[in-house]
Amino acid sequence: MSDNPLKSLLKPGSIAVIGASRDPAKWGYKVLHNIVRNPYKGKVYPVNPLAPDVEGLKCHASVGDVPGDVELAIIIVPSPAVLQVIDECGAKKVKALCVITAGFSETGPEGAALEERLKGKAAAYGMRMLGPNTMGFLNNSIGLNASIVPEMPPKGEISFITQSGALGLSLVDWAIGSHLGMNCVVSTGNKADVSEADLLEYFEEDKDTRTISMYIEGLKDGRRFMEAAKKVKKAKLAIKAGMSQAGARAAASHTGSLAGADAVYEAAFRQCGVVRVEGVEEMFDAAMALSTQPPAKGNRVAILSNGGGAAIMASDACERRGLKVPELRRHTKAGIARLLPVFASVKNPIDTVAKSDHDIYRDALQALIDDTGIDCVMVIYAHGGFTSAEEPARAVIDALKENYPKPVVACWMGGREVSDVARMFRRNRVPFYPTPERAAEALSALIRHHDLGKGGPR
Amino acid sequence: MILNEQETRDLLAGYGIPMNESRAACGAAEAAGEARHIGFPVAVKALSRKIVHKSDLGLVELNIYNPGDAARAARRILARARDIDPEAGLIIEAMAPQGTEVIVGAKRDPQFGPTILFGLGGIFVEVFRDISVRVAPVDRTMAMDMIDDVKGYAILKGARGRKGVDLEALADILVCTSRLMMEQERVLELDINPVMAYEKGAMAVDARALIRD
Repeated sequence: MSDNPLKSLLKPGSIAVIGASRDPAKWGYKVLHNIVRNPYKGKVYPVNPLAPDVEGLKCHASVGDVPGDVELAIIIVPSPAVLQVIDECGAKKVKALCVITAGFSETGPEGAALEERLKGKAAAYGMRMLGPNTMGFLNNSIGLNASIVPEMPPKGEISFITQSGALGLSLVDWAIGSHLGMNCVVSTGNKADVSEADLLEYFEEDKDTRTISMYIEGLKDGRRFMEAAKKVKKAKLAIKAGMSQAGARAAASHTGSLAGADAVYEAAFRQCGVVRVEGVEEMFDAAMALSTQPPAKGNRVAILSNGGGAAIMASDACERRGLKVPELRRHTKAGIARLLPVFASVKNPIDTVAKSDHDIYRDALQALIDDTGIDCVMVIYAHGGFTSAEEPARAVIDALKENYPKPVVACWMGGREVSDVARMFRRNRVPFYPTPERAAEALSALIRHHDLGKGGPR
Repeated sequence: MILNEQETRDLLAGYGIPMNESRAACGAAEAAGEARHIGFPVAVKALSRKIVHKSDLGLVELNIYNPGDAARAARRILARARDIDPEAGLIIEAMAPQGTEVIVGAKRDPQFGPTILFGLGGIFVEVFRDISVRVAPVDRTMAMDMIDDVKGYAILKGARGRKGVDLEALADILVCTSRLMMEQERVLELDINPVMAYEKGAMAVDARALIRD
């Protein structure tokens, strides 16, 4: 890991915040504030020639005046001042830059020219650069929030690369609300230097990341992205936004109009093992399963439910996504039949007829995991109010305490009482969903990831 | 700039893509002579860099069985084509037996570079947009996978008593097209439409290329 060129950027030992401000409305305040009040252990140096101190830290007039080494410089000065600041960082032998300042290629040709100069300068000094026009990044593994995101999400194993800063913000908020753990969130900004491809390579080596999620509007170099992604063994998910056919309409040939940008992205993602998802919810539902569960070696799903309705909906949801809900082995059926009342259905999907006792759920789940004709299991509990939502959840957690060879996803349907269960599941690394459709979609992503990885469907 | 059919055929020939025999001609007498040389039946088409939709403009005549008809068709097509493009000529081709029509295409994508397309021909591509796409280079396994990917695969594979087509031959054309696109930087877009697929073998019957000016 020490060799990865992005280590200085994402795991810096010391940080200078250039353009730190005392005004709480300014980003220069917010970023420094977020760094200081989180557990980050490295050195932090605010830089601002006009303020004596910010957030209780002594301010330095320029980065050159900082007494110790600076590994990462976060730059939040107005755009006309950025080039000079880069020179100062170069002289100070700063290793990496995070340029939050906006007003570059996103604004037009003049900004684009300025960005080219910025890129050239950073490269000349040998500094890797995130941005410009990024909202920064956060890295839970070192307790660092170098962004304008007000709150850190819970710790987790999903790292998220986003081309939209605002989406990154809302998503962290959403992650906090839905108890979703995250490791890093990186807003790429204009990608003058560091791109998705660089970040993929970094996260492949990063021991705290198990799943890489991406929000992509457009890649600058698709081939480079594919080459990087092909080498990454960890699960990769992407939302590709902007399916517009506007470009395709102008094409001169049949192929030109048929192989529109979206079809090409679809093909490229498949070829380099990136699972494409439609939206944010789907992506994080899938990421939760991929970062916690063993691989799905096939598409045969067993469903365990305390109600027939939810069981049928779950079977439909699975089959609609090309998954199978096959007959169970005779041995499995006999084992489960012993646990349930005589009138319960031991055909897949299994309906326990409202039984959700701890031992029934635990033993039935164990029997399904042991069935050699099954590749993954969905456990459903529909909360009726007369049983405890926690009891079967604890049963699932107990059954999964030891190593288990197949992915298991939980679907707990209900309102308030179920939300406590959600926290329990997250702590115990069990992916959980509020509806069978979302659970089925997550299973489908697990299976697609496995297929792409083994070079099956291409 | 668009290459005319003959120029595109020369390009494809360089990469071993099988095609029906063809010869260019400038006038009616020459057309009749070339037709006799190729052997009947033949097709007579306008040859132009400017005219895109030949059939829609009545600039294609199929199933011509004798030199007299070939000359007549040539005169008619040439007169009409020159209204649109004064430099238009003629191309005489051996009639390809009817097979299952598929389309093979390629396009240089601004982000991903050369991409290859495969689809079932005619109504399947026009109405259902039943296609599969890959970023080149496409090898044989990937090519077979592309063919497998289209919804109309059952038609190619053979269904309900109908014999299937030569999938290997189609895969070969996809691989050759991929190689062409990887090597010929100037080619921006390429349509080989239709490719006739037979129980044994496959061949390109019409083609068009857009190249960098």
